[in-house]
Amino acid sequence: MSTTHDHDHAPIEAAGEISEFDVLETAIRGLAIEKGLFSPEDHRRFMEWAQRIGPHGGSRLVARAWLDPGFKQRLLADGTETSKEIGIDWLDPTGTGTPSDFTYFYVLENTPKVHNLIVCTLCSCYPRPVLGQAPEWYKTPHYRRRAVRWPREVLAEFGLHLAADVEVRVHDSNQKSRFMVMPMRPEGTEGWTEDQLAAIVTRDTMIGVALPRADWTADRSPVATSR
Amino acid sequence: MSPPRNTHYPVLMGTLRKAGKRPSEPDRASAPWEANLQATCECLSWRGALDNLERRRAEDTLGETTYAHFPAHTRAALVTAHLLLERGRISEHELETRMNQVRARLQSS
Repeated sequence: MSTTHDHDHAPIEAAGEISEFDVLETAIRGLAIEKGLFSPEDHRRFMEWAQRIGPHGGSRLVARAWLDPGFKQRLLADGTETSKEIGIDWLDPTGTGTPSDFTYFYVLENTPKVHNLIVCTLCSCYPRPVLGQAPEWYKTPHYRRRAVRWPREVLAEFGLHLAADVEVRVHDSNQKSRFMVMPMRPEGTEGWTEDQLAAIVTRDTMIGVALPRADWTADRSPVATSR
Repeated sequence: MSPPRNTHYPVLMGTLRKAGKRPSEPDRASAPWEANLQATCECLSWRGALDNLERRRAEDTLGETTYAHFPAHTRAALVTAHLLLERGRISEHELETRMNQVRARLQSS
């Protein structure tokens, strides 16, 4: 074993101030395991699953649907089953899904006259196997209460202004149903590969609070210009 | 399913000292403890100790009362502990003792 450490990287910084919630979480988990409420293996199973999921799954579904009409048809007909074609099994990580997530998965297609938006008014149900963890704002009572009452106003707050003749449909998730929006493919993406298309299908476009753009990916947004 | 009680557990209320009275940022990056907690909640629900939907409802109820001054992203931890205390799965003494041990361990590392 080498005793030298000569490769080039910045030194690891000392840990910052310890949060009381680091302390609280560690204490809860330790006590729960000691009391047999669950096992360390249970916890590891969920941690590894959580680190695997993200919006890349949903982006891949949409991009493939844009390119493959047969896949799109299957996806709209049975989202849960068709997710398996890109390696997402809604029964992970337990064989029966998570306590929160194993449900029916519906993909909602936007059209020139219909725009879909997802919310969970009851709690914070979210299609985690395909979109990862919900953003903080999605879980707030502020968003949940207002999205169903004043969807156009909420969308406007995200910078999305829809024409008056576009119907806005709000889909309320629940214990049995999870939804994801399939946005329309934007202009300027003709001839693009699935990877190129997947890059512009960002999380917010699949929640329905934004529209995909050829010049906007999760890693790169257009430079704002003053008006 | 009875609603959670607005008990003020000193061991939990004390965490506010360091959390600060500030709202969560809408799109802030999650701290590592939040991922651990999420997995803990899934395990508790999967194994039948604490149903996820009950916890989420309690987060809404207690988040607007007992824990209204806590940042929104911290309420899941508080409410999980609150419900485990309320149901007698753990005691305040156990939790306080364990938190002291964990704090000492983390601060010395």
